Amino acid sequence: MQHGLMAIGAGIAVGLAALGTGFAQAKIGAAGMAAIAEKPELTGRAILMVAIPETLVILGFAVAAMIIVLL
Amino acid sequence: MLEPMTHVRIVSRTPRLEQVLRRLYRLRLLQLEPAVDSARSTLTAVPGDEERDARTAELRLLLARLDGLLELAGSDREIGDDSPSIDAAEIASDLDRIAPEVESLAARIDELRSELAVLPRYLEPLRRLMPLLPDLAELDEQKLRALKLDTIALVLNTEDDRLVETLRAALHELVGDRFELVAESGDPDAVGCLIVLAHRDAETVRALLGRAQVRHLPLPHRYEHLSFHGAVAAMEKRLESLPHELEAANADLHDLLVPRAPTWRAARTQLASELEQLEAVVKLGATARTFVAVGWTPSSRLSLLRRELELAADEEIALDVLGPTAAVTPPVLMRNRAQARPFEFLVRLLDLPHAGSLDPTMLMALFLPLMVGVMVGDIVYGTLLLGLSLYARRRYSKQSPVIRDLTRVFVAGSLWAIVFGFLFGEALGDIGHRVGLPALWFYRGGRDGVEPLLLFSLAIGAAHVLLGLALGLWRSAVERRGGELLERLGTVLALGGVFGLAGLAADRLPDGTLIPAGAAIVVGVVLLVAPSGALGLMMGPLALIGTLGNVLSYLRLAAVGLASAYLALVANRLGSLGPIWLGLFVAALFHALNVALAAFSPMIQALRLHYVEFFSKFYEGGGEPFRPFGESGAA
Repeated sequence: MQHGLMAIGAGIAVGLAALGTGFAQAKIGAAGMAAIAEKPELTGRAILMVAIPETLVILGFAVAAMIIVLL
Repeated sequence: MLEPMTHVRIVSRTPRLEQVLRRLYRLRLLQLEPAVDSARSTLTAVPGDEERDARTAELRLLLARLDGLLELAGSDREIGDDSPSIDAAEIASDLDRIAPEVESLAARIDELRSELAVLPRYLEPLRRLMPLLPDLAELDEQKLRALKLDTIALVLNTEDDRLVETLRAALHELVGDRFELVAESGDPDAVGCLIVLAHRDAETVRALLGRAQVRHLPLPHRYEHLSFHGAVAAMEKRLESLPHELEAANADLHDLLVPRAPTWRAARTQLASELEQLEAVVKLGATARTFVAVGWTPSSRLSLLRRELELAADEEIALDVLGPTAAVTPPVLMRNRAQARPFEFLVRLLDLPHAGSLDPTMLMALFLPLMVGVMVGDIVYGTLLLGLSLYARRRYSKQSPVIRDLTRVFVAGSLWAIVFGFLFGEALGDIGHRVGLPALWFYRGGRDGVEPLLLFSLAIGAAHVLLGLALGLWRSAVERRGGELLERLGTVLALGGVFGLAGLAADRLPDGTLIPAGAAIVVGVVLLVAPSGALGLMMGPLALIGTLGNVLSYLRLAAVGLASAYLALVANRLGSLGPIWLGLFVAALFHALNVALAAFSPMIQALRLHYVEFFSKFYEGGGEPFRPFGESGAA
């Protein structure tokens, strides 16, 4: 039972963080594509901007990994 | 590394101008700068020459025409071949000869395309409205005129059907009962309407519609005299024949242009070269008897440039090295070892390094493939990616320098993936592990593999971020930026202290570590805060947390790697269920998906780690690329 709850907790940690990242990336990605359409030389910076919110999901993964390691 | 650049001034006698320019153009070693601005002296612009101005104008016009025709021919205008010298006058007369035919064909193609796009817009409303007035649909213009009737087709851009009733009421008020209005809502956001009315009321109603800004839908001229039925039939027939006519016109244009395209491309290259030489004169300065060119050249090529110019001008030339000034920023030329050169475009993708700053290409060539390797970490996947990269390199590298560089980057990443495949004992996921392939370090797919993988990822992150900070420290020291130096030193100290405490908490370091680690954090935070004063009290700790976040961000190496390892595990488990042929098919499908992901995701993640986490510690972008005089001849 305890293991199951911990596993669910790990899933929630990654899942909610991924939702947050996805929400942010959707908006940044749309703006980035619009910017690239106007100025293709901004491709690198657009990738950089899109990649920034991924830290959220990585932190979620770190929490989940700690939970799984404790299982 | 960035090639050091030297600012030079070239002075020679005016009669030598053409020889010197020709040699400079061929050498492609000098980026010309406006000499009159930079010399701040008695220099004037090189006196105008009517013949040169006329030739420049002629070449510009000719190049614009060639570009237009090459675009119509669907040909890449940048790539010329090595045809013998081409006479501009001959090319111009060739263009004059075929221009009327090309213009006529291009106009016809535009007309046909426009008709193809427009006709369905008429056809659909007519098709929908005809059943509503079956008798009227059979009447042509003459019959309608004999009955003293008129019709107005229109489209209301609305979703609201009540607008039709409003229109009906307005018409009733205007002409009484002498009209019929039918409406059909075919599109979700538009209502098509047809008004039949007495001929004498037509103008009044049209005026009303005009005032209300309602869009009429007059039929194209050639269908006006037909009945609605006749017009629909004629439009359908026309829509059937239009694609064939368009195809024939395109084929005629293709036959006319494509055979000439290679000659035009070669001519374009030659003419662009000549134009560049003519336009370069504008950047030169002059005295009564001499001309002066100012520009940048790679320092390593300075002696070659001097020697070649002396040969070109029979020793009647002086090349002076100008001292560095804050007012002029040198252009940037990246020149790295052959192994690292493919990574230059990945650095440029973010921004060109600022002149005099660090070029991180070598470090990227070292770390990026390693990170890709950690994430993929599978012997078979690595081998497949290596094979695909080598095939793509052989097949497509001549088509684009970007593809050539990218495939080399992938080759390096694939090799590291094979190395880490041996370290993790993975081949097609856990198949290698199951058939007895030993993990030289640890197996990622097992329960015991998560912790060392996380620690390994964090260790790479710590090393990478600390390396970035160390480079930043060095740059701050070289540039004598005291505040920045203290901040970076503080970050390094505080980060070291935090790592010490983490090691202590994980029982990996002795208890005696506590005091030095704590002291390092305190001193580090003070150094971080001090340069910014009161603002530093808030910004300093935030910067430290940001740097810690940068290190934690490297956990993505473990996250993406575990995702890849577990997807392979799932593929193998699914493959072992059910009949063997189905199992093989499902497993192959999942492994193919995993390889496709391995070719894309690890590269993006590794790039992000470099751009955001690593470069932010020391990288200074905003460099201007070195554009040597004569680069158009290199196309």
